[in-house]
Amino acid sequence: MSIVVEQIEQQIAKLSSKAIKKNTGTIRAVADGVAKLDGLSDVMYNEMVQFPGGAIGIALNLEADEVGCVVLGDVSQLKEGDEVQTTGKLLSVPVGRALLGRVVDALGRPVDGKGPIDSKEFYPVEKIAPGIMVRKSVNQPLFTGIMAIDSMIPIGRGQRELIIGDRGTGKTTICIDTIINQGRINKVGLASGDKSFRPVYSIYVAIGQKQSNVVRTIAALEAAGALEYTVIVAATAGDNPANQYLAPFSGASIGEWFMENGMDALIVYDDLSKHAVAYRQISLILKRPSGREAYPGDVFYLHSRLLERAARLDGKGSLTALPVIETQAGDVSAYIPTNVISITDGQIFLETDLFNQGIRPAVSVGLSVSRVGSSAQIKVTKQVGGKLKGELAQFRELAAFAQFGSDLDAKTKAQLERGSRIVELFKQPQLNPLSIELQAAILWALQKTYFDSIEVKNVVSAANSLKDYLTSRKDALLTKIRNEAKLSDEIEAGLKAAADEWKSTFAAQ
Amino acid sequence: MRGDKKTKLLAKQLFKLSLRDGQVSSEQVAGVLSYIEQAAPRHALALLKLYQQAIVTELAKSHARVEHAGPISAATLQLIASAMTKKYARPVTATAQPNPRLLAGLRVRIGSDLYESSVAGQLATLSHAV
Repeated sequence: MSIVVEQIEQQIAKLSSKAIKKNTGTIRAVADGVAKLDGLSDVMYNEMVQFPGGAIGIALNLEADEVGCVVLGDVSQLKEGDEVQTTGKLLSVPVGRALLGRVVDALGRPVDGKGPIDSKEFYPVEKIAPGIMVRKSVNQPLFTGIMAIDSMIPIGRGQRELIIGDRGTGKTTICIDTIINQGRINKVGLASGDKSFRPVYSIYVAIGQKQSNVVRTIAALEAAGALEYTVIVAATAGDNPANQYLAPFSGASIGEWFMENGMDALIVYDDLSKHAVAYRQISLILKRPSGREAYPGDVFYLHSRLLERAARLDGKGSLTALPVIETQAGDVSAYIPTNVISITDGQIFLETDLFNQGIRPAVSVGLSVSRVGSSAQIKVTKQVGGKLKGELAQFRELAAFAQFGSDLDAKTKAQLERGSRIVELFKQPQLNPLSIELQAAILWALQKTYFDSIEVKNVVSAANSLKDYLTSRKDALLTKIRNEAKLSDEIEAGLKAAADEWKSTFAAQ
Repeated sequence: MRGDKKTKLLAKQLFKLSLRDGQVSSEQVAGVLSYIEQAAPRHALALLKLYQQAIVTELAKSHARVEHAGPISAATLQLIASAMTKKYARPVTATAQPNPRLLAGLRVRIGSDLYESSVAGQLATLSHAV
């Protein structure tokens, strides 16, 4: 009680008898979450504007005789002639560790019913991306826990890797798996007491998604124990377009706090197609000139300025971005997909056909690329998986060719056999990311032809058996691979002994 | 009702014609109105509304509306007018308007600027902060 009284006294002391100057205006019209205002002669671009009843807005259109403003919050109480005031502040969101494990809206307000967030710092939602001099090249890996990605399309800390595909191809699943994997790595790393360990905190931004999907995501993260390292920013389909437009920028600000304070963070924008649609809606209501597919002219800048905020900073931390784009009937040449493809440092393309064939994750190896390349891979992955992408590409080519003829030479047959085994091996159930040491061990076994004598239809069960065997009996070996991050003679001897033992037990089954 | 682009442009031009030495002149306004009456341009109603809006906004920049809760002397009003004249570098007049909801103090409105020095305003700031 006394604290509250003290707070009020401090506030009273701050108030002086001096007149306070405010810039005011009146509402001329309100429609579809956008208000047209008269007055506000001193308003700045992107400044917060205070509406009666506690609603706030952002000035987006400054014209000669009116101000166009998106309203965040309840517009039902606003009416023509109501007075609005400038605040002199840019829109800011709370940042910091206090947000971990919480679900917030586009303005950083908690929506999970777990009480207020005790955050001391605020970051502006719109911020200029870090410049050239402060950046550092991306060369530290960020493990997704998905074998096909970590071995062939590696993602580095500070990279922007697009996840693109039709609806229902597993885009969100890849993102959730990656977040869960960060949670697992963080737990192991922090428990080990290793001073050099750098945990990765995750931010998941849900834009225009169904609330039921967001609830499912939260439950999956909670069940996997990853929610405590994650912040969820939710602007669901029921939120107004202004909130959906702002949510990724708020998420980026929350992520930037970790980056600026020497930590590593991962941000998932799920998805930027819906974000572009929300921005198009706002722009059309604001009567901005429309261009291709009715998107405004600055829709490229909208996404480029957002994604440029992901970086690895010299002497500080990093912010890795995984934007998601939903394509229509696999058309990657549409406006928004091509925009985001050109902004990002690579893409993971998910194919409906592969998904329907049961190849999950349905990563199309031919169309997926990581422009950071192997510099973001640890040595052990390079040693065991360096040639996989080429082998798989050859397999796809030969498989298409082999459909037309039955007479194949022994070499071609061997390549086809091997390729089909690689495809089987990369099948991975959802919400089950694999540790990098386990991935390395399985790929080593593949490289050393341990799977060649196993029938293709049994490869998945054989791989699962090997995983179980290694995790239950060879924990010390896996820890050694994780710590050394390369295949030494000793590790290779250990792997050989383990694989021989496993093979004999598996063959006996 | 908001006019189209041409109407807006015409309203802007008519507004410029209504100024003399940077101030709204009643003779000029009368001239503009008689022109509108004679020429009967398209969208005359929208034009007149836009023109009126521009004139009202301009006049508000030269007029300080002083809301007060207690008594206010003519000398205080004069003081406010001269202070505003100096601040905005244009002749500003001041008129008093009683407003008991302010509880005490003054609130001066000039153009889109608001100078808040009332108890009600300070209490509102306090409640917002707490």
